[in-house]
Amino acid sequence: MIDNLLLGFSTALTPENLLWCFVGVLAGTIIGLLPGLGSTTGVAVLLPLTLAFEPVTALIMLAGIYYGAQYGGTITSVLISTPGEASSVVTTLDGYQMARKGRAGAALAIAAIGSFVAAIFSLIVLMAIAPPFAQFALKFGPIENLAIMILGLATIVSFSGDSKLRGFAMAVLGLLLATVGLDAATGTARFTGDNVNLFSGIPFVEVMIGLFAVGEVMYQLRIGAAEPIRARFRDLVITKSELRRSVGPIGRGSVIGFLLGCLPGAGSTLASFIAYGVEKRVSPHKDEFGKGAIEGVAAPESANNAAANANFVPTLTLGIPGGGTTAVLLGAFTIYGLQPGPLLFESQPDLVWGLLVSFFIGNVMLLVLNLPLAPLFAQMLRIPYVYLYPLILFTSFVGAYSIDNNMFSVWVVFFSGVAGYLMKLYGLPMAPLVLGLVIGPLFEKALTQTSALGDGNLLVIFTRPIAVVVLALAVLLAAGPSLASRLRRRRLPTA
Amino acid sequence: MTSTRTSILAATSLVGLISLTACGSGSASVGSGSDSGSGGGSFEPKGNVTMVVPFGAGGGSDASGRAIAAGLEKAQPGLKINTENREGGSGAVGYSYFMSKQGNPNFLLPAETALLALPISTNVKFDYTTFTPIMKVGDDYTLAVVEASSPWKTCTDVINAAKTGKVVAAVSGATSLDKVVFSLTEQATGVKFDQVPFESGDEVLAALLGKQIQIASLNPGEVVEQLKAGKLRALCSFSDERYEYPELKDIPTAKEQGVDVSYAQFRGLIAPGKLKDAEKQYWIDASKKFVESDDAKKYIADNYLQPNALFGDDFTAYLKSNSEDLKKALGK
Repeated sequence: MIDNLLLGFSTALTPENLLWCFVGVLAGTIIGLLPGLGSTTGVAVLLPLTLAFEPVTALIMLAGIYYGAQYGGTITSVLISTPGEASSVVTTLDGYQMARKGRAGAALAIAAIGSFVAAIFSLIVLMAIAPPFAQFALKFGPIENLAIMILGLATIVSFSGDSKLRGFAMAVLGLLLATVGLDAATGTARFTGDNVNLFSGIPFVEVMIGLFAVGEVMYQLRIGAAEPIRARFRDLVITKSELRRSVGPIGRGSVIGFLLGCLPGAGSTLASFIAYGVEKRVSPHKDEFGKGAIEGVAAPESANNAAANANFVPTLTLGIPGGGTTAVLLGAFTIYGLQPGPLLFESQPDLVWGLLVSFFIGNVMLLVLNLPLAPLFAQMLRIPYVYLYPLILFTSFVGAYSIDNNMFSVWVVFFSGVAGYLMKLYGLPMAPLVLGLVIGPLFEKALTQTSALGDGNLLVIFTRPIAVVVLALAVLLAAGPSLASRLRRRRLPTA
Repeated sequence: MTSTRTSILAATSLVGLISLTACGSGSASVGSGSDSGSGGGSFEPKGNVTMVVPFGAGGGSDASGRAIAAGLEKAQPGLKINTENREGGSGAVGYSYFMSKQGNPNFLLPAETALLALPISTNVKFDYTTFTPIMKVGDDYTLAVVEASSPWKTCTDVINAAKTGKVVAAVSGATSLDKVVFSLTEQATGVKFDQVPFESGDEVLAALLGKQIQIASLNPGEVVEQLKAGKLRALCSFSDERYEYPELKDIPTAKEQGVDVSYAQFRGLIAPGKLKDAEKQYWIDASKKFVESDDAKKYIADNYLQPNALFGDDFTAYLKSNSEDLKKALGK
C-alpha cells in the first residue's frame, strides 16, 4: 500500500503531470460552469488534444476535467439557479435561496469544502478496498437496482415543499414524460409522433436548463425583484456555525455518494437526490430546507463528488464504466493502448496509482482555487439584472444548442422555460418533476428486467436480501418523518 | 516525454476548443456538392468535410468515425474532416440529419448495423437505399461468454440446458447484435432463452460478472480483458471462421459445435444519397487507400474486427442481403 502510494506520488508529482492536472481541473471547472456542456462532452472533445501526451499525463488531465466539472457545476446552480451539471440540480433548491439571502459565498464555500472532503474520503476507500468493493457492487443486479430506484422515488416526499399532493403529482408527471421515446426492450416508439428527436426520450439536461434558468428569469421579471443582491464582504465568508451544521451532511453525503457511485450506471445525480432526501429526514433544521438551509447544499454536493470518484471503482477494477464520462475515459484508455479491466492494477501499477494520487492533488488544487473564489464569484450577483438576465438566457440557449448541435434542444429549453415559469407561478415544485424524469427510464428498465428474471413475478424482489434491505431504507425514508417526530416527542420531556 | 512546445500548442488549442464547444461549433462545412464536380470528370471536396457520428462520443461508432476520418485525411493530402456527434434515438437522429444532406459530397457517416435495424424496428424515413454506400471496413462478430464458474463448456451444453430448463440470456437492445444472434440461435435449434433486456454491452458485462444472468453474446473487444483475467469463459464464436488473433484463435465457431449461426455487425462508411458518379468514386478511391494503410490495420486489430473490406456496389449488395437476414431474425 505504502509502496503503491510512493509510486503514485513519484508519477503524479512530475512538473508536467502537475501542470496538466491543473489545466484539467481548471478546464473542468469552466466546462462545469457552462449549462449544457457537461463533463462527458468536455472530456470527449478535449480527448484528441491529449494524443501527443504520455498516457498517464493525458489521463490525469482528462480525469481532472471530470471531477473539476463537479465543482464548476455548483457555481451557476447557486448563483443563478442554472445547474451546470445534472448532479447539481438539487443544489439549486437551497443554494439559490442562500444566494438570494446574500449567503452565496457561504453556499459556494461549503460546496467546495464538502466536495473536497467527499473526494478525499472516497479516494481513500477507493485505494484501500476498490477490488472487493467492485465485487460487492456486482451483486447489485436488476432486482437490487429496482429497489434502489424505489428508494430514489421515496425521496420525493423531501422535495415536495408544503404540499405532498403537488409533489407526487409532479413526480408522476416526470415519470410519464420519461416514457416518451423508444422502448428499450422492444424498440417500439412511444409518444414520439414520428419525430426522431424524441426517439431517445425527452432530453433531460435541456428540460433542466429550461425549468430552472429560463423559468426563473421569467418569474423574476414578473415579480419585478430587480434589486441586485448587495452582500457585504463579511457576509460572504462562511461562519463557524454553518460549518458545524455541515459536518453531518457532508459525512452522510460522502457515504451515500460513494455507495451509489460504485454501482455501474446509478450515477451521481441519483446520489445527490438521495443525500438531500436523507438530510431533510434527519436534520434538526427541517423547516429551513428549500428556504436556504446550508445542509441542503453540503449533502448533495458531497454526494455527487463522492459518486464521481466512486465511479472509478467499476471503471478501473472491472473495465465497466460507472457513468457517461467514465465511459469516455475508458475509451481514452483504449486509445493509449491500455486495456482497463481486472488486470489493470497489476499490469500498470504506476499508471493506476499515479492517476489516483493525481486525484488527491487535483482536489487540493480545486479547493485552493474555489475557496478564495467563492466570495468573488458571489460578487457576480452585484451585476444589475438588466445585464445578468440576458446573459443567463444567452448561455442557456447557446448551451442547449451545443449539447447536440440541434435546434430541437433549443425548443425544448424554450418550452420547459415557459412550463417552469407557470409552475413557479402556481407553486408547483420542480424537483420532483426532475427526479421523475431522471429515475423514470432507470426505473422502467429495472422493472422490465426484474419481471423477465422473475418470469413475470415482481415479488421476486423479496427473495433478494440486499433488495429487501434497500426497500426497508426506502420505507424508512418515506415514512420516516412521522416516525422520527413520534420518537422525538417521546424523547423531548427527558431531555 | 512531450516537448514544451507541444504542451504550449495544446494549451492554446485547449482554450480555443473550450470556447468552440461552448458556442456549439455547428457544422463547419463550406463546400456544396450541387455545383461541384458537374463536369462529371474528377471531383475534389471543397472546404471541410463533416463526419457525422450518429452516436455519442466514446462509443464504437465514434471510434470508427474518428479512425476513418483520420485515415482518410492521411490518404488524401489536403483533405480536412471534422467529426460531429449527433446522438439520440439509437442513431435515428444522426441518420435522419444525414438524410437532409442528400446530394452533398462533403458529408460522411460511419455506418453500422443501426442503418439496417432502425428501418426494420421503427418508423424512420430512411433505409440503406437512401444513402450512397462507400466502404465496409470489417466485421465485428460476437462470442458466447459465460462467467468462469459456469458449468457450461461449449455452446452445445447451453443448447442442451435450454432444452430442459431455463437459460437466462442478456440482450443489449431491441435490435442489437446479441439480440439477433440469440434469435437466430433459437430459430436454428428450436430452444427458447429467457431474454433479459439491457441497454448496453457494459451493462450486460456487469450483469454477467455478477451472475445476474447466465450467458451473453458480446464483441471480442468488449470481453477480451475479462477472458485474459479468467473472469469469463468464451464458449463459441458466432462467426464463419475462427478468429486469427492469438488470444481468440482457440475459440471454436458455433458451427463447429453444431449451431449453424453466424452474424456480424459491420463497420463501414456511407455518403449522402444522390451523389454524382465522380463524387462517389472519389470517396471509394480514398477509402481503398485508407484500407491499405497501417491506420486501418491498427483500428481493425485494436477492435478485434475481421478485416472483410467491400466497396461501393459490393457493399450495397452486402447491405441488401444482410438486411433480409436481419428481417428474418427479428421476425418482421
